[in-house]
Amino acid sequence: MTTTTTPRATPPVHKGTGPPAGARTATRRRRRAVALLYVLPALLPYTLFAVLPALHTAYLSLFDWDGVTLPTFVGFDNYRRVATDPQLRAAAWHAGALIVFFSVLPISLGLVSAALVARRSGRRGTSLIRTLLFLPQVIPLVAVAIIWRWVYAEDGTLNQALRAIGLGHLTDSWLGSFTWSLPAVGLIGTWVVAGLCMVLFLSGTQRIDQEIYEAARMDGAGPVREFWSVTVPLLRPEIAVALSITVIAALSSFDLIYITTGGGPGNSTVVPGILIYRLAFGGGAVGLASALAVVLTAVIAVAVVVINRLSREAP
Amino acid sequence: MTHISTPLSRRAFLAATGLAAAGGSALLAGCSDTLTPGAKSSDAGSASPASTAVPTDKKITLVVADADDTTMTPGLLAAFREKYPNITFKRQYTGWDDYLKSINTTMSADSAPDIAQFVSGMNNLVKGRLLLDVGAYGKAYGWTGKFPGLDQITFSADGKTAGTGALYGVPGGLSFEGVYYNKAKVKKLGLTVPPATVAELEEMFAKAKAAGETALVEGNLDGGLNHPFNVLLSVYLKPEDREAWAFGHKGAKITGPEAVKAATTLKRWVDKGYVTPKVNGTSDNDATAAFAEGKGVFRISGNWAAAAVAKGLGDNAGLFNMPPSARGGSVRTTGAGVYYCVSSKSKNPAAAAAFLDFCATKQASAVTAKAGFMAPDASSMPQQSGLLGDVLTSWQGIVKDSGLQPFVQNASTPTMPDTVTTQLQLLAGGKVTPEKFLAALQADFDQFHS
Repeated sequence: MTTTTTPRATPPVHKGTGPPAGARTATRRRRRAVALLYVLPALLPYTLFAVLPALHTAYLSLFDWDGVTLPTFVGFDNYRRVATDPQLRAAAWHAGALIVFFSVLPISLGLVSAALVARRSGRRGTSLIRTLLFLPQVIPLVAVAIIWRWVYAEDGTLNQALRAIGLGHLTDSWLGSFTWSLPAVGLIGTWVVAGLCMVLFLSGTQRIDQEIYEAARMDGAGPVREFWSVTVPLLRPEIAVALSITVIAALSSFDLIYITTGGGPGNSTVVPGILIYRLAFGGGAVGLASALAVVLTAVIAVAVVVINRLSREAP
Repeated sequence: MTHISTPLSRRAFLAATGLAAAGGSALLAGCSDTLTPGAKSSDAGSASPASTAVPTDKKITLVVADADDTTMTPGLLAAFREKYPNITFKRQYTGWDDYLKSINTTMSADSAPDIAQFVSGMNNLVKGRLLLDVGAYGKAYGWTGKFPGLDQITFSADGKTAGTGALYGVPGGLSFEGVYYNKAKVKKLGLTVPPATVAELEEMFAKAKAAGETALVEGNLDGGLNHPFNVLLSVYLKPEDREAWAFGHKGAKITGPEAVKAATTLKRWVDKGYVTPKVNGTSDNDATAAFAEGKGVFRISGNWAAAAVAKGLGDNAGLFNMPPSARGGSVRTTGAGVYYCVSSKSKNPAAAAAFLDFCATKQASAVTAKAGFMAPDASSMPQQSGLLGDVLTSWQGIVKDSGLQPFVQNASTPTMPDTVTTQLQLLAGGKVTPEKFLAALQADFDQFHS
């Protein structure tokens, strides 16, 4: 846009040559103002509805507040409690375990299936597969959670299936089990996210030149070698994107768990999101909840930055 | 190929964001109440002149906020209008979860509704003086003789302790916990209900279990074992101890031998296999549904489930009050209500109080009963047959013995609902002893009330 007003033949800017410095700064300033004008419609609502509330949360985290009466300033006291509370430590562990189900599993599944599809030269049916795989992403998470509650129920689909194939002794009340509830909830996450990863990787493989696969095959590479030497390295950008999205989903998970187990049985599926909700809306500890939210946001931000740094390095 | 001569540098972008942020915060600072949380403590509080005279010549609009998904609240409003045609209502209905989340801020706003359904957690509003002390109206109308369960909406000045202090509302309709039973199965097993004591009830459980039945249908995925637990506490604890704890009185304990007996009894029911197997994996609603489908023999739950149970079991559905611990003891159970309170910012407190008083009238009873609640005036409720008849008889027994006690999770601390659910799952899962279970509840209590 600015390009149209800029003569293509702008002389290269060297120190001491070209138009006088004052005039140059003025034009640059004007152009910058024009550029800002274009950004403004997006910037303003973003600032008002995302940046400011976030800052407000950070501000509230310095208070002891029940949500109604006047708050008392407590400095970093809430953060000290976040660091020492044993329940919060358990929640952090659970969130870590969820990364396995939300990130590691779906990305592995997605890579393998993408590699299988990429090896086929004819690509008929790909769009159908893609639509089917993407379906879980389209369903609201609350609906997903309710569906899976029925799947995992005592008389649910899973137990019925187990009984049908003669494995009735393996049935359990999955969401009510202290051992199985966390993996059970995690696998719902895998189901939801796997489709997204596969679609991402599938479109990535379409970018990969078939000739590279042919060349690899010519050099005697088997499917496994092909996978590690061609598919995975060339899908690096997609993997980084998938990893970022899924790690965020794992760490900030709330709705799935709130609907399926509510953090139970006992505290075996409690995650930070559940605790923030409980503290703020039930427990009347808005300050502590805000502090926890700030810490969670910081952890997620760090995780995303690290993922992007690592993925940018040369293979 | 595009040639961007002046890319928006990162610094310019950040500066712009900063500017927008600064502008925004200036905007917020303009109304600094928004940024600085907390209610301005107005000195509104007690309604000093308690005139029960409602002006009938001028038009009055009352805003009502509630989370009542039954026909009760709209029905009561409509019935009240027939009496006072000059009063119009603007009803703001919100779903239960959203109501819990938003009501405290709604009531803090200058445009607060005149009448609101009271839910636990709103006692914080007492400290902020945002609820009207309706004690003077209560005296003028004689509410103590008209409404049961007023202690559950009576709070100390800091809002932390119930059952003492000033009165902030009345119940429109009440609900209580009872023992549902499947008449056909009880007959087949040769049992005679109602049992005279808890021990007799437990013997019936044993017989049902021996016959291969689920004796007590419950679901604890969302903490539904609190129904039998609360009822057992009502049965075993001295009423004053039970209420002192649920109402958050200083120094109250739930760790004494009576409470241990209640928790041990519940755990024994689970351990002996009387309760639904793998109870931690079944939700409370699914338990009601299973019982209504004819699964199991007994179910301890509230009268709100009566409609579903009656629909499923028809004439085979019955209900009796939880028996006392010793033969001939008085009826004691756990219950709650849909309470209405008045905003201290209401410009028409007399009209609002008139509505509260209306809830105890005979016209109101008909509406309340139809919605499945127990009317404050138990005697004026229309006669019913079948399960609803059992429910009514049980309710009249409770009112006669003043046996309605608060849920421990609703009244004692704001975090108690989550703590009770978590701990009941640990207890049913065999992860904690009854003593440790009670100690965990006490720890939550002490943290809030210390």
